[in-house]
Parts: sequence; C-alpha cells; structure tokens
Amino acid sequence: MTTTTIHRVGTLLLILFTLSAPWVLPIFVDSFWVDIYSEILIWSLLAASVNLLFGYVGLLSFGQALFFGLGMYGVAVGIAKFDLSFWPAFMFGVALATGMAVIAGALAVRLTWHYFAIITVVFSLIFYFTALSWKQITGGDDGLPFSVPPIVSIGDFELVITNPFTQYFFIVLMVGACYALMSRVINSPLGRAFVTVRENDTRAALIGLNVYLIRLSAFVLAGFIAGVAGALFAFFGRYASASYMFYHVSGEAVVWAIIGGVGTLFGPILGTGLLIVLREELSSVWDHYLLLVGVAVIVTVIFAPRGVGGVFVALVQKYAKPSSSDKEGSQ
Amino acid sequence: MDLVIALGLNGIVWGLIIALIALGLSIIFGLLDIINIAHGDFFMVGTVLAWAVLETTGNYWLAFFLVPIIGFGMGALIEYAVIQPIKNAAALSIVATFGLSIILQESVRATYGAAPNRIAAPIEETFLLFGIQYEYYRIFAALVAIFAICVFFAFLHKTKLGTWMRAVRFDPETATAMGIPARRIYMVTFAIGFAMAALGGVVAAPITTVDFQAGIDILPFCFMAVIIGGLGNLEGTVAAAVLLAFVEGIITSFADPTFARIGSLCLMSAVLMFRPHGIFAGATR
Repeated sequence: MTTTTIHRVGTLLLILFTLSAPWVLPIFVDSFWVDIYSEILIWSLLAASVNLLFGYVGLLSFGQALFFGLGMYGVAVGIAKFDLSFWPAFMFGVALATGMAVIAGALAVRLTWHYFAIITVVFSLIFYFTALSWKQITGGDDGLPFSVPPIVSIGDFELVITNPFTQYFFIVLMVGACYALMSRVINSPLGRAFVTVRENDTRAALIGLNVYLIRLSAFVLAGFIAGVAGALFAFFGRYASASYMFYHVSGEAVVWAIIGGVGTLFGPILGTGLLIVLREELSSVWDHYLLLVGVAVIVTVIFAPRGVGGVFVALVQKYAKPSSSDKEGSQ
Repeated sequence: MDLVIALGLNGIVWGLIIALIALGLSIIFGLLDIINIAHGDFFMVGTVLAWAVLETTGNYWLAFFLVPIIGFGMGALIEYAVIQPIKNAAALSIVATFGLSIILQESVRATYGAAPNRIAAPIEETFLLFGIQYEYYRIFAALVAIFAICVFFAFLHKTKLGTWMRAVRFDPETATAMGIPARRIYMVTFAIGFAMAALGGVVAAPITTVDFQAGIDILPFCFMAVIIGGLGNLEGTVAAAVLLAFVEGIITSFADPTFARIGSLCLMSAVLMFRPHGIFAGATR
C-alpha cells in the first residue's frame, strides 16, 4: 500500500464511521455515545482552529475560546433577545466570531511567539470579564438558556434539532463542511503560503509573500471555524455561558490539538476524541483523572511533540511504499 | 473617603505580594524563555503548604521559612523533569506548563480537597486608620514582601550566583564558554521562581482564601505586571504590580471590580502592541 492509499482509506473509514454512528454505536456501546461523538466533533473544530494557527502558520493561540464564546453568544442572544429564527441566528453567531477575528487578528498577528500567545489570552480575558459583568445580555456565569426554533419548516413539515437524528446529522454536516473548507484551503496556494510562513517568515517575505496578510487570513479562518464550533455547541447544549470563554477552554483546545498532532488535518479529531472518551470513561471511576491528562500532555510534548497523528504519519511513511503523487505534510 | 484610603492601602499591600510572585515569573521568562502558565499554581501550592504547616505544627511563623524551601526543592525537581527536556521547543513550553498547571491543581484537589479554607492571621490585632479598623497583619505582609524583594535584588547584584544568573540571561553561550554552569543556573532560577511564588502564597494566605483554584485568578494579574513593567525588566515588574493593584483598589471603591480588571487588560494589550518592552523601557536602561 502506498501512503496516499492509506490516507484515503483512513479518511473513508472516518467518514463511514461518522455516517453510521447513530446506528452502530447503540449496538456496540450505548446510545448516549452518539451524543458524546457529536460533542467530540464540535470540540474538534475548536482544536482544529488551534491546529490551523499553530500547525500551519506557527502561531500558538491561547485565546480561541473567545471566538467559540462569541459564536455561542451570537446564537443564544440572537434567539433569546432578538427573536431570530434558526439560520439567521446561526449566521449571526458565526459573523460575530469572524468579525471579532478580523479586528483581533489585525492587532494580534503583528506579534509572534510568546507575545502572540499572551495577547490572544488577554483579548479573550477582556471579553470573558465583559460577558461576566454584562448580565442583562449574557446572563453572566449562570448562562443564557434558550429554546431552538426549527431548522426548516415548510407547511406541516418541520425539521427540529430536538430530534436526536436531525441534531446529529446537522452537526455532522456543518463539521464536515468546515473540514472540507480547511482541507481545500490547506491544499491551495494559500495553504502552501501558510507553511512557508511557519517555516521561515523572513524568507517568505523575501520571495514576495505578504506575511502579515497570510497570518491574518489564517487567523480569520481559525476564528470562523471556532465560531462555527461555538454556534453548534450553543444549539447542542441550548444555552450559552461566559465560562466557555475562559482561557482554560482555550488551553484545553491547545491540549487536544497537540496530543492529536498539529499540522495534520484530522489530528484534532483524534486528540479531542481520545481525551473526551478518556474523560467519559474515567471521570465516573476516578475523580482525579485530570492528573492523567496533565501527565499525558507533558509526556506528549517531551517524547512525541508531533502528537499521536504525527506518530501515525511517521509510521506510515516508514513502512508504506512512497507514492509518486505523495506530497509532504498533506494528509 | 475613608474607604478609598483603605482600599488604596489594600491595593498597595496586594501589589507588593503580586510583585513578589511576578518577579519569579519574570526571571523564569527572562532566563529560560518560558511562559509559565503554572506560575499561579506555584502561588496556590504555597498557600496550601502554609495551611499544612499550620495544621501540623500549629505555628504559622514556621511556614515563612519552611514553605519557600519546599518550593525551591519542588521547583528544582520540576525544572529537571519537565522544563529541561523541552528546552529546545520554546512554543511547546506553554503547553507543557499548562499540563503542569493541571497536575498541580488536581493533586491539590485530591489531597487538600476542593473546599476553600480561611486561615486566621497570626497577628489578629487591628489599629484605627482614618476611622477604619485596619489589620496589622496586612502591614506586616507588605513588609515581608518588601524585605523578600530587597533580598532578591541584593542576591542578584551582590552574590556570585546572582551575577551568573544575570550573565546567563545576557548571553548564555558566552556565559557557558566562560565556565558558568548554565544548566544548573536554569535549574536554580526556576527553583527561585517557584520559591518566591510559594513565599507569596504564605504571605497572602491569611488575607485571601486557600483554594486549589486560587492560582487561576492570580496568574493574569502577574502577567499584567510582567508585561506592563516590561518582559524581563525586574524593577519595572515591581513598579507595575504595585501601581496596577493600587489603581485597581481605588477604582474598586466606586465601580465594579470587573471594570478595573477589564481596564488593566486593555492597558496591557496596548502596551504589548506599542511598547513591547514595557512602559518603563528607556527609563532604566
């Protein structure tokens, strides 16, 4: 088998599993794992937005929760306060996150390394505290619950998200679209420019790439993805809360991305999946399972800085026949 | 008006404690080039150790000596086990210290418990200050913080080890070539950083609560002091910590404390954007 075949088969298996999960998971484990899997898919988008910035342009953001939170609040406030219907609320949330990404990014991507990490935390903290104190709009720490309007309603026919099947496939569709978009961008000339900037920004500038604009577009795309994740999570949980904007949520996303493997498209799903399954399995048995997460993070950083996905890619490249069309770094 | 004075004074006391903790953060950043997300938890470990010392011996004063020593040992151990192996991947150090932060918080929750505790101040007397009963302990806490900061600066400028630390920070390669054991200096620096945060914890424990999440609130404040004072500018860090806490204290007397926090964070982003070496850059060097 060549490396590309392995990657194609892997992707196909992932898609098949995702599409059949509502029928397969209740047979083998329990039907509540379908909900867990939708949660994994949503959170993996947040990890993917970290991965897009760190894995492809080399900027470590510790503030992606800001865009997640804005996507979430956009939906919740749109429905609860402005009486928007389903799609306008969805778009409002995503637009809010993307708009904020444009503004925050325009300032933040002027900085790199530690400074970039710090300023992204600071931005997310500013809005976290704002959301906490602006209680009449955001509900503060208590959160803002709402009831979701139907996705479409034509005459008597209504598609509502309270139906588990509808909810699952709506989430799969949206998450899938985001991954398709990311894959499209990563394999485009812009994606190549991302990697060039990551590897050496001075040389990238010397060959005529606009480093600032490239970093900004990655930041805006990451903000958009995180915003979609937040909006989906608002529909999933039917509420929004300021606590999802705290830097610990951003930190968790970074952990998922790092353990899954940065710089690979599906690494974030792997990392998010592993850690959320670990949480679900262990938290009821052992109250302090987070100790294990902390150790796993440190061990990964020391021994496998490219994460589980990176180890897999390395193994594939070692044992599979290289294919002629195999491109470095793309999966 | 009385309230303003008391809150302003509280701000200065708190600012001095923060300065002590933030100095540790600043030397770790300046020397090891590491953003230490776990630094707030070092402080938290200090408060919990102080509580443990009080519980076992019944004497709080012992904590002032014992806890920094334990902190120094823990710091050296962590540097050896976690920081040294990732020395070459600076960006990942943030992630590793985040993992460290999870471990510290969770082990404290597992042993000490999740419920916050209050410690009675070892000096319980109060005195009348502009019509308000003010605790002597807070004045004492400020004095301890000032003393520790002075000792630290004296150590940095007057001893051989301190000079080595400054040399390694200035140019690690030349320092190594001159025979300075740079690796050991990194370890000592990290250990001193931990010890200072832990001492800050001992000093602050009777003023605040002992809680496994205490570090989460303190960390952003320490970062603000370090950034606004200038990364690696130690005198600037102290000045910024005291100034910020004082201003926040004053603002708290007439507005929601969250607004004060948001204001400081906005100031911090402005400093990062336009004066990345801190607002005191040029004044000291």
